[in-house]
Amino acid sequence: MTGYVSPFDDQVRPEQPLAQRPEQLGGLRVTLLDIRKNRGAEFLDRIETLLRSAGAITARETKEIFSKPAALDLIDHITMVSDAVVEALAD
Amino acid sequence: MAAHQRISNGAAGLAPALAVSAVSPEPVTVQSLTARGCAVLLFVNEDCPTSALAMRKLGPLCEEWEQAGFSCTAIFEDPLEVAIRVARRCGWTGHVVSQPPPYQTSRAYGLVSVPTAVLINRQGHITDIVTGWDQAAIMRLIERAAAITGTTLAIPEPASPVRKPGCSSKAALDPAIAAAMAARSDEDEMEEMFERGWTDGLPVVPPTEERVEKMLGTFPKYTSLGQVPPAMGEATLERLAACAVLAGCRPVYFPVVVAAAKAALDGRFNLHGQAVTTQPAGQLIVVNGPVRHELGMNSGMGALGPGNRANLTIGRALRLMVELTGGGMPGGLDRSTLGHMGKIGFCIAEDEEVSPWPPLHVERGFAPGQSVVTLIGSDAPLSISDHRSRTPEDLAYVLAWAAASAWSTNWWPLSEPSVFIICPEHAEMFRAHGWTKQRLREYMFEAVHKPARDLGRGETTPDVHRSGPDAEVHKWASPAEIVLLVAGGEAGRYSAVLGPCTGMGSQIVSAEVEPR
Repeated sequence: MTGYVSPFDDQVRPEQPLAQRPEQLGGLRVTLLDIRKNRGAEFLDRIETLLRSAGAITARETKEIFSKPAALDLIDHITMVSDAVVEALAD
Repeated sequence: MAAHQRISNGAAGLAPALAVSAVSPEPVTVQSLTARGCAVLLFVNEDCPTSALAMRKLGPLCEEWEQAGFSCTAIFEDPLEVAIRVARRCGWTGHVVSQPPPYQTSRAYGLVSVPTAVLINRQGHITDIVTGWDQAAIMRLIERAAAITGTTLAIPEPASPVRKPGCSSKAALDPAIAAAMAARSDEDEMEEMFERGWTDGLPVVPPTEERVEKMLGTFPKYTSLGQVPPAMGEATLERLAACAVLAGCRPVYFPVVVAAAKAALDGRFNLHGQAVTTQPAGQLIVVNGPVRHELGMNSGMGALGPGNRANLTIGRALRLMVELTGGGMPGGLDRSTLGHMGKIGFCIAEDEEVSPWPPLHVERGFAPGQSVVTLIGSDAPLSISDHRSRTPEDLAYVLAWAAASAWSTNWWPLSEPSVFIICPEHAEMFRAHGWTKQRLREYMFEAVHKPARDLGRGETTPDVHRSGPDAEVHKWASPAEIVLLVAGGEAGRYSAVLGPCTGMGSQIVSAEVEPR
């Protein structure tokens, strides 16, 4: 008697550790990522105002469309120019 | 494990011995590879796109590096014939070796993911390790190799992506767990399928190795069709065949399942969005061409309902791929609020012989004699009864207005396809009056419009907000959003409309069914 063939991709995905959380906002480079979900930009506008008032340096980026993963180039760019990221989900 | 610690620390430990096979009968050892300076071992496997990326970037340089005393070896976690084929496809000019399960060499090096590049000096010490694709780290590794060999080494052209995470090494799965997963128990095997989670909630056919082999036939089991969202499981043909067995497919159906999977994994279809959305969307498969008859598919009476094995199991196989290989199971990563029954399986064949019009695949550029599947993200069917229309204008009006509430009552216009399945008696009305498909489509488009002031309640579109109150807004952005198929029993005047999956940028995608 032989075994079964699994329909699952049983390989264990390497866990990616969470980045260290910043202790303060002053001087921090924060990218606000708009995923293009309805009214997400409004939420980011408010967050951006609060971050700036706390001394953060903000930048805005936008995903191509909310329903697809962000392009690797965009992720690379954000990781190179940012200390922290805020991604807006909205519905 | 010790080797793992050595690798993850990047310390200069001794490189473990290699247990690999190559085309040449001569043994491949760390000493033989580093004899002229140093060597890089690139651990890869066929299933991993990042492995392919690394081989494509580094492969063309290996021959030149070899001349400079820097040897490159791709160590595959796949059979040797697969390794050679994949290496050739990726333009890899270095050595190619293979290791069988349980991947002793990968384990000895403590591999967690592939690709992993390990630099070894002439003394057999590990001097650098790069995991995944990391352009900057690879440059560092090449600089170290250049320092060891005392030469200048060519470097790959910098190009995106600069970083890409790897995939899990096949050695990362504990052999005891792997054996337990493959083993059959003495329990009721139908119940065991539920316990394993290898089901959509209905009983399945257990995917024994024998059944999966028969399903595959001559299809190469290690070939991957891509990663299945949302969890990005690798869709090897072997896994897809397991899904087809689970679904109850006969092996003769498998080429259609493969074509459907290819179309579903085409980025333009955006399966990722459809698999996780709160919308109900399912993946409608429309089958056209001779394969409909070869498989005995039903395009006639009850074409959207029960009774035909090919229709039901082909659609179910695709959904099982999404749910099991892709992890898109309702309540897990599939966040659909309600879903619909078509998410169990949603496959129809068009009745091309009864239709007065060119079939869907011909409209999409294929020849009538080609067998083709077309995938459309679709809502559940809404039946449209009309037994009284005596003119094509009246019938077209009734059909079109039935879709006025598709997606949402006031969401006008729709920019994604609504699929109308026209029953034979309705189709006959249009044939008798010489209406082409395009004429019907344009008539339906023109028939359904409202002034913006009547569309302002509740959920509505930016178009309506932008329009003045008297501006007429159509239900569809253009006639092209109306897809027309013919199917159903010869008696009865019931057509149906399937609303769209909206806002995802999902496009209709077709793929030819390739014979075994």
